[in-house]
Formats: sequence, C-alpha cells, structure tokens
Amino acid sequence: MSSRKQPKGKIRPPKKPNSADAQFNDNWDRLAQAIREIHKKNASILSFEELYRNAYNMVLHKNGDKLYNGVREVITQHLEEVAVSQVVPAFPLSGASSSQTNPNGAGGANFLKVLKTVWEDHTTCMLMIRDILMYMDRVYAKTANVPLVYDLGLDLFRDTIVRSQNYPIQNHLLEVLLQQIKLERENEIIDRTNVKASIDMLLELTDASTKDTVYATDFENKFLETSSEYYRVEGQMLVGEYDAPEYMKKVDKRLNEEEQRVRHYLSQTTEPKIRNIVEEELISKHLKTVIEMENSGLIPMLRNEKMDDLGRMYKLFGRVVKGHDEMKSAISDYIRELGKAINETVTSNTTAEGGNAASGDKQTGATVAVRWVQEVLDLKDKFDKVQNLALSNDKAFQTSFNEAFEYFINKNSKSPEFISLFIDDNLKKGLKGKTEEEVDSVLDKTITLFRFIGEKDVFERYYKQHLAKRLLLGRSVSDDAERGMIGKLKVECGYQFTTKLEGMFNDMRISSDTMTDFKEYLDKSVLEKPKLDLSVTVLTSTFWPMNLSASPRCNLPPELTKACGTFQNFYLGRHSGRRLTWQSNMGTADIRGSFKARKHELNVSTYQMVILLMFNDKQDGESLSYEQIKGESDIPEADLKRNLQSLACAKYKILVKEPKGKEINPGDQFNFNNDFTAPLQRIKIQTVASKVESEGERKETREKVEEARKHQTEAAIVRIMKDRKTMEHNLLIAEVVKQLQSRFMPNPALIKKRIEALIEREYLERATGDRRVYNYLA
Amino acid sequence: YSKLSNDLFSILNDADDYNVIIKVGENENAKEFHAHSVILRARSPYFKGALSSCWIEKKNDMIFYSKPNIAPNVFDMILRYIYTGKLELTEQPSEDILELLIASDELLIEELFDYVQVYLI
Repeated sequence: MSSRKQPKGKIRPPKKPNSADAQFNDNWDRLAQAIREIHKKNASILSFEELYRNAYNMVLHKNGDKLYNGVREVITQHLEEVAVSQVVPAFPLSGASSSQTNPNGAGGANFLKVLKTVWEDHTTCMLMIRDILMYMDRVYAKTANVPLVYDLGLDLFRDTIVRSQNYPIQNHLLEVLLQQIKLERENEIIDRTNVKASIDMLLELTDASTKDTVYATDFENKFLETSSEYYRVEGQMLVGEYDAPEYMKKVDKRLNEEEQRVRHYLSQTTEPKIRNIVEEELISKHLKTVIEMENSGLIPMLRNEKMDDLGRMYKLFGRVVKGHDEMKSAISDYIRELGKAINETVTSNTTAEGGNAASGDKQTGATVAVRWVQEVLDLKDKFDKVQNLALSNDKAFQTSFNEAFEYFINKNSKSPEFISLFIDDNLKKGLKGKTEEEVDSVLDKTITLFRFIGEKDVFERYYKQHLAKRLLLGRSVSDDAERGMIGKLKVECGYQFTTKLEGMFNDMRISSDTMTDFKEYLDKSVLEKPKLDLSVTVLTSTFWPMNLSASPRCNLPPELTKACGTFQNFYLGRHSGRRLTWQSNMGTADIRGSFKARKHELNVSTYQMVILLMFNDKQDGESLSYEQIKGESDIPEADLKRNLQSLACAKYKILVKEPKGKEINPGDQFNFNNDFTAPLQRIKIQTVASKVESEGERKETREKVEEARKHQTEAAIVRIMKDRKTMEHNLLIAEVVKQLQSRFMPNPALIKKRIEALIEREYLERATGDRRVYNYLA
Repeated sequence: YSKLSNDLFSILNDADDYNVIIKVGENENAKEFHAHSVILRARSPYFKGALSSCWIEKKNDMIFYSKPNIAPNVFDMILRYIYTGKLELTEQPSEDILELLIASDELLIEELFDYVQVYLI
C-alpha cells in the first residue's frame, strides 16, 4: 500500500489545512482506498451508500474538480501498474524468433487473451466506479464540461494501455492482430474470441482528435495496407500457379473468407474497404491475364462450354469496373474470329467451285450456303446457351454479341442470298424428313440471323427469286409453311416488306382457277384443241422477280406457239388491256422419248424440251452443233449452256456430247443418245436450280438492287419533303436514313445524288437565301 | 394514471413480496421500509446503482440497505413518490420539504426535485 500513498500527496491541498480541507482529505482518502479495493476486486467489503454519500458530499462542497482529478489519478496509477505487471510480461517474442517459438502465434494469442482480461477488468471496475460517482457525473461533470467518469476511464485506458507512451503495447497489439489474421488467411485455426475482444476494445475507444474510433485511426489502415500487400503477392503467385477456373475459385474463396472475417470479428465499416482491396488485387489487376490464360482462359472456357466457370467469371468480374467490359470485348472478338472462319470456308469453297464453275456438279453452291447458315446458327445457339446459362441473360452482353454477329454476317456479302437459300432449302418439298415443327423452329432461328442483315432489300430480292422457283416448279413443301415464313418476315419488317410476296401467292391461286376455266372454255369451244396439255400461271409482273424488259426469248415449237395463242385469246378476252409475256425460262414440260431399250417419260424444262424436239427431225447418228442449236432455238447463251449440261453431262445422258467433258464449249457436237437406259420409266432431268449466283449474276442483282435503292431513296425524299415543305440538308439526310434503314443503310452520298436528281426534275429547289435548305415544289 | 398510482401505492403499503429492507435514519430515529428492488431501480438511477448485483448485501434473498442521512418521514415521501409519481406537499411541514428537496437531489430523483423546487418557489 505504501507505494500508493504517493499519488495521494499530489492531490492533497497545500498547507493551511482548515477543517473543510481536512474533511475533504479524509473523505477522499477513503474513496481512493475504495477505488483501489474495487480494482483489487474486493468490492464486497465496501458500502455503496457510504461511498456515494462521500462523493456526493465532496461535490456538494464544491470539491468536484479535486474529486474528479483524484479519480483520474488513481485510475491512471492503476492502469500503469496493470501495464507493467500484466500487459508487458505478456508481450510475444518479437522478430524472426517468434515464428519459430510460436509457429501458431500462440504468444500472440496469449497476449490478446491477457489484454482481453485486462480490458474486461477495467470495464467492470469502471461500471462500479461510475455507480458510486454518479452524483459527480450528474452534477459536476456536466457543468465542468468534462467526460463522464466511465468515458474518462476509456480515455485513460486508451492513453495508458493501448497507446502507452512508456511501453510498445500499441505496436505489439497491432502486430499480433495482423499476425493472427495472416495466420488465419493461411488456414491456421486462431482463437477468434480473443481477436474479437481486442477489436471490440479498439472499437469502443475513441480517438480524441478525430472523434473516430481507435479501431479506425490505429488499426484499420494498417490492416488494409497489409491486406493489400498480402493479396498483391498472392495474386501474382496464384496467376502463376493455377489455371483460370482454379484461380477464380481461389478468389471466390478469398472474397468469402474476408467477408466472414469482417462479420466475425472486424467492424462492418471495414467490409467494403477490404472487399475493394481483394477485388482490386485479385480481380482488377489480373483481369486480362486470367481472361487470356492459354488453355483455361475465357476462350477455352467458351470452346469447351464450361458454363460453371463462365458463370463464375461473370459473377466475379462483375465486381470490378472493367470486368464485364473486358469479358464482353474478348467474347465479341472471339465471335468475330469464329465468324470470320465460317466466312472463310465459304469463300474458299466458292472460289474452288468457281474454278470449275460449269462442272454441273450436284454439289451446287446451295450446299455451301446451307452449310454457312447452319454454322452461323450453331454459333448463335452456342452463344445463346452461354448467355442463358452463364451470363444471367445480361442485356449488355447480348447487345455486344449481336454486334459481333452482325459484323461478320455482313462481312459476307452473300449472306442475304445464303439465308434466303437456307430458307429455300428448308421449305423445299421432300427434304431431310424434318417434321413441320422442326422446320418451323429452324426458320425461327433463321429469322434471328435475318435481323442481323444490313441489306434487307437484297435479301428480299433473293427471297422473291427463290420463292418464285418454289412456287412455279411446284417444289414448295406446303402453302402453310410458306405463309408461316412470310408471316415471320412480316413481323420483322412490316407489311410493306411482304406485300409482293403475298401477291405471288395470290397469283398462284388465281392461276389455278384460271386454268379450270380455261379447260371448261376449251371443252365448250368449237376451236381445235391444242395437241398438248397447257398449264399457264399468270404472274403480276410487279410482284415477281422476272425481268420484263429483257424477257427471255426462245423459239417455241409450232404446236406450243399455237396452244399459247389459244390461251392468250382466252385470257385477254376476259381481261382486256393486259399484256402477257411468256417466261419460257420458268416452264417445265413432260415429253415422251423413245430409246432403243424402252420409252421413257422425261420431265424437263421448257428450254430442254425445245432442244430435244430439234432432234426429232434428225436421222440416227446425225448431230447438231452448239451453234446450230443456239441459232435455231434462240435460247440465251447462259441458259442454253446450263440446259445442255443437264442433258449431256449429268446423271441422265439423253444427249451425247462430242468431245466428251463437263464443259459446254462452242463447236461441241450433240447426238441423241439412242442407247440411253434407266431403271425408272419416269425421269426428272434436274435443272440446275437455286444455286449460289455466279459473279455475273451477282453483278446484275447488285445493279438491280442499286437501281431499286435509287427509287426508294427518291420516294423517301419526296415523301418527307411533301410533308415538311422545306428542310435543311442534314436534317433531310437524317430523316431519309431513318426511314430506309430497316431495308438498307443508305449512304449520304447516294441520298445527295438523289436530291440533286430531284432538283433537276423540279420536285425540289434550293432555297434562295440558303443553299443548304430545300423547298418542295408541288 | 390515477388507478395505476393507487395500485402501485397498495403494493408499497401491503407489500408481502418485498425484497428490499431499507433502514432509514440513525439510532432511535431509524425506521425500516419494505420495498421492491425492481421498482426502485426503475425509478431512480441512484437505486439502480445501489441495488445492482455488485453492490448489494443479501441475506436469504433479502436485500439489506441502510440510508442513515435521511429522516424516515422524508424517506416515506420519497418512497410514495417513487411508487405513485404523486405527492401531496401542502400537508407537510416546511422543514421536511426542504429536507425532501435535498434528499431527492442526493438520490437523483430529478422529477421529484423539480416538483419540490417548483412548489417552494
């Protein structure tokens, strides 16, 4: 006890002891002694009533400050002693040796345990001291504007123990805490209770200058700094050691662990901060590395359809700013790359075919087209699946994928034709034994590709051609399927896009009625009946893709010409003012051929019929030259070559060509093949139908499309100007683009040319004051 | 709340389940009061501390407390006020009222202190 007498001296009033002072000293001695007993856990011998009354009297006699300072003195003294006798001896061995002697941080754990006890003792004592000094708190502390005694106790604990000036307690504490966390990060089991006690203690103490917790001022930053460093090193180590899926699992685990750690023994305020650090060090910094990991990164995951890993990456990378952007652009690049490869197989195939273009090979370009579309569809399926299973159907990803598809699909200038051919392939009769539902679902998917096409007008042109062939050659699988497809296109592009297609259907229906009427007409008529069955389909020229101006010419045999004349008279008699043009390139004929072995019924094109009929007048063995046939029939050269190929170089060789070969060349001689045999009685001579266009045809189509675009552009300009009367150049361009972009992307130069053409034709004029403004001329 | 006051007053008067015995005053003037620790602790911060488990002295589950510096008649008023929240001051001798003021300050029953102060002014 003698050692404790010293502080008493400090607060003893100097000299001149009067009775009041003496009274105070006496009271204070007893109170100080009591506090010491409380510290020694001897409270049971004390009387609350006396101590309270004692303090009450001191405050009542204006000795509040002396009491307050005295209490501060006694508590400080006590804490100093606690520091020396309990805390300091518990210091863990520091430096390198600690890791050896205390591999599990046992020294540190013990230190925390001691600190926990010290802290608990302190708070318990302070509660009791607060009880007996309640009157001081209420009356003195309030007016003197000093902390309540319990808070005073916290401040003293902070300054005497946690931030002791005399002993490196603070260093040890922070070091041990960080070490314990490090151990836990390295999968050691630590005693979380002790760590939590110290953390709670730091959270309860307040830093005087910042008014923040000591946890925030002393601990948190150090924790975050060491964590940063820890995860910086770990990140580098992990990317070097693990593949992408493993890496991501580790990161997932780390994020989870840190969250748990915060929840169990740190402050919630630290949660976003430590999360940011882990995200920064383990995700942001290694984004590209992980994405680009050679055999396990994003692309291999996509290639092998590792949906779980992709999903994990999506979730994980979504935590950081650039994460999804990096993923998106990597996947998009990959799609473009795959798309490019698909495009390349096609171009290499078609060029190879171009080498022997006239080969008459059954492997027509259509297969290439179908394969291209199928591959694109497969690719689309694949990424739809990724989108669905791994990317939570993220809209941003979808947009980016769509852009990639759009990009490479439009890189292939033949895509509108290919897609139309693919649809043709699916709508053709008797193919592949697909059910209607299957066909429908394929067509639905095809529509998604159609959406990506920039030049929808080009598609429309091809679609019309292919549809025309299906309808006229009777190869369409069913009206329902055709109408279904047109319905889908209508949904995509509106009725304008499909009116002509629907018109084609109408023509087919009306023609079949017309034919019934024609037969009745023939039966009743006194006219000589034609020597053959004629079936005519009347097509409205604006709906169908035939070219009227360059109508295919051909010298038909007299019987046929006569039959045609009869029909023409019948038809024009019912519809005056119409003009019929015969499209002999679109027709078919059934003819009977007598060969040495037997007779066969041949189903051929009109052109082939014309060619074969020429041989009727010839003797056996008498041949016709290419030039003769050409001159006599007047069939256009390309068509002639193709049809001769079908007759002389394909499966059924009705004609024999001299010299032999797959190409038709000027000077070739043709003979009727009397020795022809075939197992079937009825033979269909394949016309080379719906194949990919040759370069020449493509150029022609292109020109037609350009021409159509001119008209559409002018129509749009006139429509807009009629409505607005006057408009500034750029606004007009923008409006025209807006109106046309659902069909094709008009370039401003084209629009400008059309405007000029319209000015020339006096639909528009430039405003007198401003040459950039146009007026509409009614 | 008059009903509540009356009922609580009856608890104080006919206490058969009291758990605190308070000896008030000194020597021959001392008097024992019976009360309930829950009520005392709820109504006065002083008693909240005084009757907390770390300070009390118990014999057979009974808490013994002594308050020598307050006169029994003054403490009687305090107890009534603690239980009922009401106190009729007009019937009390003025020196008792002054003592009541001092005691309510010591026991940190601010409500009563203010009440008495207002009465005195």
